[in-house]
Amino acid sequence: MSRAAPGPEDRHVQNRGTDSGGTATGCAEAVVAPARPAGRALAALAGLRTPVVWILLAIAFFTSISGKPVDGVLMLIVAVGLAWDAGRRALRQPGGEEAVAPARADRRAVGRRRFPILGLLAAGVVYAVVAGSFSRYSWPATAGIIGLGTIVVLIGWHGPVRARPDGGRLPVAGTLAWLVVLVAGCLWELSALLQQPSLTTDSYAHPTISTLTDPLLATSPGRMLILFAWVAFGWYLVER
Amino acid sequence: MNYHNVTIAGYVLAVAGIVLLQLLATRTRAPIPSLGDLFTRAMRSRTGRVGVLVAWAWIGLHFFAR
Repeated sequence: MSRAAPGPEDRHVQNRGTDSGGTATGCAEAVVAPARPAGRALAALAGLRTPVVWILLAIAFFTSISGKPVDGVLMLIVAVGLAWDAGRRALRQPGGEEAVAPARADRRAVGRRRFPILGLLAAGVVYAVVAGSFSRYSWPATAGIIGLGTIVVLIGWHGPVRARPDGGRLPVAGTLAWLVVLVAGCLWELSALLQQPSLTTDSYAHPTISTLTDPLLATSPGRMLILFAWVAFGWYLVER
Repeated sequence: MNYHNVTIAGYVLAVAGIVLLQLLATRTRAPIPSLGDLFTRAMRSRTGRVGVLVAWAWIGLHFFAR
């Protein structure tokens, strides 16, 4: 990722491990947080400018009313945490764009290239076969999903696994075209959900994507296939 | 055409739109970013990065977890 000069965020990353004791070890500006309740509220409100936070809040809401309140609460916690984190950064760097997630050191990229792709592929297949052998909504399947999800999010939290070119600004018209298609797809799914007899009762006339995939996910091979695709997509995202 | 087929046609249309935009982005000189470019841009910040990955994790939770 090409950037001109390192900002406080970069210095913070480069000095990782030196500031665990607090603010006195050369990275003071990166660890100062609004201490008073008013400051925290201001930080959270500033973080609401981030579109991802609103997307997660929408997911939390619709997950909760669809009969999965625990998932909804988890998403809500993440959304509020991200809003607070983004707001804190925005307050720390007023007028500037939110800090870019730093790429990891080059030696990690070199090490990762050495890591055999076939090994990752095999691990993904083994995971999909093992997790897919359990029935849906069982505790083993739940543990497998939560475990891998946590690992991937933690990997992503520390930045990209390798540096990527910035790419500059995206074309506005083309980006809008993507937004129209993606939002239309989400609204279509939402309309199907809201036209069910109830939010927890499937409808043949207005099937959601979950309803349409139920026959496939009822079989072990189907679950393995979808789980492998899910794992592959997760790795694709980690690589971004 | 009943409601069931209309609903499915809507999903097919959305997927077709995604495929079309991706093809335009990667096979032509049209000023359209690829889906990968969109993800890369969305994941430049830590908030975007973690948000997208959590949304990915939610998909797994939604379809498989209790």
